[in-house]
Amino acid sequence: MLQINHLTKRFGDKKAVDDLSLHICPGEIYGFIGHNGAGKTTTLKSCAGIAQFDSGDILIDGVSIKTDPLTCKGKIAYIPDNPDLYDFMTGIQFLNFIADIFGVNALDRQERIAALADAFELTADLAQPISAYSHGMKQKLAIISAWLHNPKLIMMDEPFVGLDPKASHLLKEMMRQACDRGSAIFFSTHVLEVAEKLCDKVAIIKQGKLIRSGTMEEVKGDDSLEDVFLELEEK
Amino acid sequence: MLKALFKKQLMEVNTWLIQDKKKGKNRSKLGVALLILVYTVLFIGMGAAFFFVASMLCEPLVLAGLDWLYFAIMGLMSVLLGVFGSVFNTYATLYMAKDNEFLLSMPVHPSAILFVRLFGVWMWSLIYEAIVFIPSVIAYWIVLYTVLPAGSLTVSVILCDILLFLVLSVFVLALSCILGWVVARISARLKNKSIVTVIVSLVFIAVYYWGYSRAYAALQSILAHAQALGDTVKGKFYPIYLMGMTGTGDILSSALFTLMIGALFAVIWMVLDRSFLNMATANRGAAKKAYRQAPVKVRSVSGAMLVKEARRFVSSATYMLNCGLGTILMPVLGIFLLIKASWVREFLVSYPEEGPAFAVLLACAGLCTMSSMNVITAPSVSLEGKHLWLAQSLPVLPWQALAAKLKLHLLVTELPLLFCEICVAIVIRPQVFDAVLLLILPPVFVWMSACFGLAVNLKSPNLHWTDETIPVKQSMGVLLSMLGGWLLVMGLALLYFVLRKFLSAQMYLLLCTVFVSMVSSALLFWLKTRGTKLFAELS
Repeated sequence: MLQINHLTKRFGDKKAVDDLSLHICPGEIYGFIGHNGAGKTTTLKSCAGIAQFDSGDILIDGVSIKTDPLTCKGKIAYIPDNPDLYDFMTGIQFLNFIADIFGVNALDRQERIAALADAFELTADLAQPISAYSHGMKQKLAIISAWLHNPKLIMMDEPFVGLDPKASHLLKEMMRQACDRGSAIFFSTHVLEVAEKLCDKVAIIKQGKLIRSGTMEEVKGDDSLEDVFLELEEK
Repeated sequence: MLKALFKKQLMEVNTWLIQDKKKGKNRSKLGVALLILVYTVLFIGMGAAFFFVASMLCEPLVLAGLDWLYFAIMGLMSVLLGVFGSVFNTYATLYMAKDNEFLLSMPVHPSAILFVRLFGVWMWSLIYEAIVFIPSVIAYWIVLYTVLPAGSLTVSVILCDILLFLVLSVFVLALSCILGWVVARISARLKNKSIVTVIVSLVFIAVYYWGYSRAYAALQSILAHAQALGDTVKGKFYPIYLMGMTGTGDILSSALFTLMIGALFAVIWMVLDRSFLNMATANRGAAKKAYRQAPVKVRSVSGAMLVKEARRFVSSATYMLNCGLGTILMPVLGIFLLIKASWVREFLVSYPEEGPAFAVLLACAGLCTMSSMNVITAPSVSLEGKHLWLAQSLPVLPWQALAAKLKLHLLVTELPLLFCEICVAIVIRPQVFDAVLLLILPPVFVWMSACFGLAVNLKSPNLHWTDETIPVKQSMGVLLSMLGGWLLVMGLALLYFVLRKFLSAQMYLLLCTVFVSMVSSALLFWLKTRGTKLFAELS
């Protein structure tokens, strides 16, 4: 579903991502971990078509984001670490805007918005302007908007930050259900316990370079993911 | 503790001077010095204007023995400007301060926080009041020194004037606190805040120009009926009389006026002190609107993008007022022309040698100038700001995002322009071909302005602003778009006067239409090619 081939992105002289290659298959939850500034957000932004990259390629469902970004973007959903949504819109206006962009028909969007907003207990606030939302509410709205068009690939940067325990639990369930339907999920997190329990595969990035990746068992063996991560970071 | 709070408050006041919000970092020493110089020149300029007014009033009133009326009038003007200048600052500093909860969580008495906040507001009140009051006092002292017998400018006059300056600043502070509270209350409950702000601002601008146009006549009227006015004020508005007498150096009046303002401020202090804790911690969210599922209107991608741009526009009073004023002014101009139709026709008849197309040429110049006041596209890319990731990550072509910005500009400008064109046509009754040119040239000019604004903003965007007034008010793109439009109109008008021996007004208009169309097409081509690439690469 997502193929990152030799991705390199420079900021001036510094390589933010250095020859990174990853392959995420349909039905997989892929965790992306690394310390602050390791290159996680840059990688995710490149995959979402937001950041231009210097070399390598990114294929989404076999289509290069470089050559056909529109087709790729039609298949994905991206949630950044700080979801700055259009704060001049109300929650429902934003969701309808996203549905319009992705061409979700009226019936489907109404059903999905109702179900997802109810699940996240956001229905009562949908008529409020987004500027009045808390960080957690914005995060919930971003998640609802991401799920609205049944994307094949969902990419999220620190999706659990700001969510209450119930919403976190719900998101984990939704991630699993989406993968069961054949979608793939690629997300970054600092919460290693979550990654350990939730992910099928995990990649560890350090200073822009992929230092380990594979199934959870391959990466951590008998240790905890935290121990492995800290050990790799100290090397 | 109080010292630390004062230091924090002074730093807060100094922020506007030291921090460059456009770049998000501190200004250099040279930058600060230049800014101080600019504001000093601005304040001196405004002060000079009030000195002119004060000089007009001062000598006749002093010679008529109505010194106190002079101080009453200038004192009220000081208070008016002071309150107007500091009421919104009071609202932000006192009622909407972001660090209230932070300070209240520390071992600081709420009264100390309130006191320091009021100190900050008082400083601004003093500055605004000074713009009127200091020139007024200077004018008064000059008259006492030069016109009246020697010894008229006594120590008590000087001391009482200084006292009045300080007491009036406390009066301004008291009024600002009351009005700031009213603004806070209204603002908390207001729906469609941006639209209301636009209407209030437009009303204010209209009142300002109305007052400005009548200021001279009002001053003459005051001078003509000074004695009667003085009697009325003294009889019915005794505190104002006391204020005026304070300015003349009357000790007893000074004491009474000071006591009166002191008492007023004491009452306000007590009310504020008692309610500060509630006020600072109150949740001022607007009344919550309940969500009800409504039938969905499905839009195309370009439709959705256009609606998004429109929502962005109407959500911000700053954006509407600074970049869309032409939308209001064009219909106003049209109606004004209809009302003054006979005057316009008489004016045009006085230039028979220029031919009938001359009127159309003048009308086109006016309409293009007016439409240039709309610079909606000029800050539109910068206004994406922190939301840019959405436009870049959604399946939307960069051109679709840019086209939505162009369409909004055209929609908001072309419709009022068309109304104004129809009004103009009714008034000047052009020939058929001239009427066609009148209907084509200004709309094409609007196309060019829209494309130019967007192009300039794509070349120099500012996506990292902290306050939307920065891309809207302080952007080079907005300035260039507005001034560029005006300069082009002026240039083309001047060129006509050079070429009119060789070209008829009609032919010149036709050439202008072709020229503007070609520039518009070139800009549109650039936007579709290089512009879309720039937009996709923005970060």
